Amino acid sequence: MGNLPFIVEDLAHRFDIDYIEPPVFSEETVRIGASLAPEFACLPLKAVVGTFVQALEAGADTLLMGGGSGPCRFGYYAELQRRILEKEGYRFNLIVLDPPSTSLKAAYSGLRGIVGPDVARLGTLVRELKRALAKVVVFDEIEKWVLALKGREAEEGSVARAAEEARQVTSAAFTGKEIRRARREAQLLFEEVPLDDNRQHMRFGLVGEIFVVLEPYFNFDIGNWLGKRGVVVERCVHIADTVYPGGRNPIFGYSDRQVARAASPYLTHEVGGDGLLSVGATAIFASRGFDAVIHFLPFTCMPEVIAKSVLFRVSEEMGIPVLSLTIDEQTGRAGIETRMEALLDLARSRRRRACREVAGLSVAT
Amino acid sequence: MRVGIPRALLFHHYGDCWLSFLEALGVEAVLSGPTSSDIVNAGVIHADNETCLPVKVFSGHLLELKDNADVILVPRVISQGYGTCSCPKFLGLPDMARALAPDLPPVLSPAMDLGDRRFLWLRDWYKVGRALGCGRLATAVAVRGLVESLKAHDVETGCESENDGALSVGVAGHFYNVNDPHVSLRMLERLQGMGARALTIEQSSEREARRQAASLPRKVYWGFERRLAGAVLHWSRTASVSGIIFLTSFACGPGSFIGALLEDELSREGSVPFMTITLDEHSAEAGLVTRLEAFTDMLRRVPARKPASAALERGAVL
Repeated sequence: MGNLPFIVEDLAHRFDIDYIEPPVFSEETVRIGASLAPEFACLPLKAVVGTFVQALEAGADTLLMGGGSGPCRFGYYAELQRRILEKEGYRFNLIVLDPPSTSLKAAYSGLRGIVGPDVARLGTLVRELKRALAKVVVFDEIEKWVLALKGREAEEGSVARAAEEARQVTSAAFTGKEIRRARREAQLLFEEVPLDDNRQHMRFGLVGEIFVVLEPYFNFDIGNWLGKRGVVVERCVHIADTVYPGGRNPIFGYSDRQVARAASPYLTHEVGGDGLLSVGATAIFASRGFDAVIHFLPFTCMPEVIAKSVLFRVSEEMGIPVLSLTIDEQTGRAGIETRMEALLDLARSRRRRACREVAGLSVAT
Repeated sequence: MRVGIPRALLFHHYGDCWLSFLEALGVEAVLSGPTSSDIVNAGVIHADNETCLPVKVFSGHLLELKDNADVILVPRVISQGYGTCSCPKFLGLPDMARALAPDLPPVLSPAMDLGDRRFLWLRDWYKVGRALGCGRLATAVAVRGLVESLKAHDVETGCESENDGALSVGVAGHFYNVNDPHVSLRMLERLQGMGARALTIEQSSEREARRQAASLPRKVYWGFERRLAGAVLHWSRTASVSGIIFLTSFACGPGSFIGALLEDELSREGSVPFMTITLDEHSAEAGLVTRLEAFTDMLRRVPARKPASAALERGAVL
């Protein structure tokens, strides 16, 4: 999921954790997950159950899972996964990492359960976590640049190469100073990417539930797909924004309060998960003149279903095409790509129409 | 001024309190009719196709009120008790209602956060009263009456009837599904017709339910589901029912998790048989009747178990 592998690698190195790199999502993962998890559970649960089974088969003895306290179902994932896997006869130890907002004590004891004895002092723990967070921010910034530049690169593959190199540089940085230097280097790498200014590009916003938006297996690598077709993509969900304290969202650039204000004509209350963010970000993208917004959600995701039924109104009142794509274990690539192509065509014809209007020409086509 | 209230979703929980609030304000309350096929169909057409059945039914009721109400009251129930939260659908319900159709009357959405011990949400209700054109004092009295009626609503404990040998089946499901004969396809009546006594969540003791729910290793944070899980565990652990039917609706989020949780917990404890029935707008009577018949027949053949020996007879469960 997104930059998670790099983040886990960094944390494992920092806190001296022996970990098994989970296999990348595949048909097999989804098949295992879907056969074990309850039918109407959301896709992320099924996918993670599948991953856990594969990790346990590979010899893991401890599983780490995030927690929470609703209203999204994510907070209950850990308990359900424990029951499902125990029923299958696996023996393991499950550590639930609750966010501090649920319970500071649970969060702390969860953390203590995974970090090695080297970081006995609270000060060391906090310092290392701060550095890890700074690194997460850099990783997500790299991803943001990739999405923004991919559609404008002059030579195919140059952005991917820059990203590869930037990630390597960042992975090797551990102290605060090193991380700052790595960020500068990464920025330089991206600044050197030759851009094709003659290429006409669309601007698309990407909103939705974090898991399907970030995981290329489930969104069919949408960022890359759009990039190849000359679309500049901006995404509103990032791992760094989710874990960053205080709701400042440094990567997306709009704080939780700004998002809530943008969403307020359409959705006036937090609905759990990324629901409010999806609506707020769509409104922000619309007011910034984006060509279209793509909304990804897993089937039966409660917060995003609300967002989806409200986005219809945002789309109509703010005049921005919004395409909601529901992903489940049976979604096929062709179906998604056809709809994306249709959206792309729609956005292009809207752009052309707007150009003709500005020029004072007849808009009839 | 006619205030419309859709007879759906949490109206089945708090309807009396809302109606008495409006009565105290002296405004006319208009209720949508009982759920019918037309209402369900209208909801299915207009509501987002991925929402759960109760929300679609709610949308149908809302559309029915379109022409005969000036405003529509859709309270936003944020929590149903301290330390719990509602299903996200309830949190976004008023916004969903506003996005449903362009020509709907304005939607009033006062918050109802029963877990908030400071009662800050009462301000919303005061504003509603004022917006409906009532005086300050009358509104304050009405709000006070709302708090009183909600308190009375909370302590209302169910009557735990003695097991008199008749086959009793626990029906665990949301009030708005179980208590709506059209949606639940008259399931309670049907069970009664088959000679089984149907117990619902309301009839279980709230205190017992709370105690049993606390025994789960991870707290269930959805208010209603906590009550439901507690009641089911209470039924199963005291063996006060012969079997439990878990009634959920298609695409119900919390239901999918709580159903799996209870199924696992009950099979671990080697408790009473447990059947899940999923309802959607296409549910037909024949399918339901066949399953109910099969379930009650099976319960009759399995000898009634005593609570103490329940754990020993793991092999005999569904």
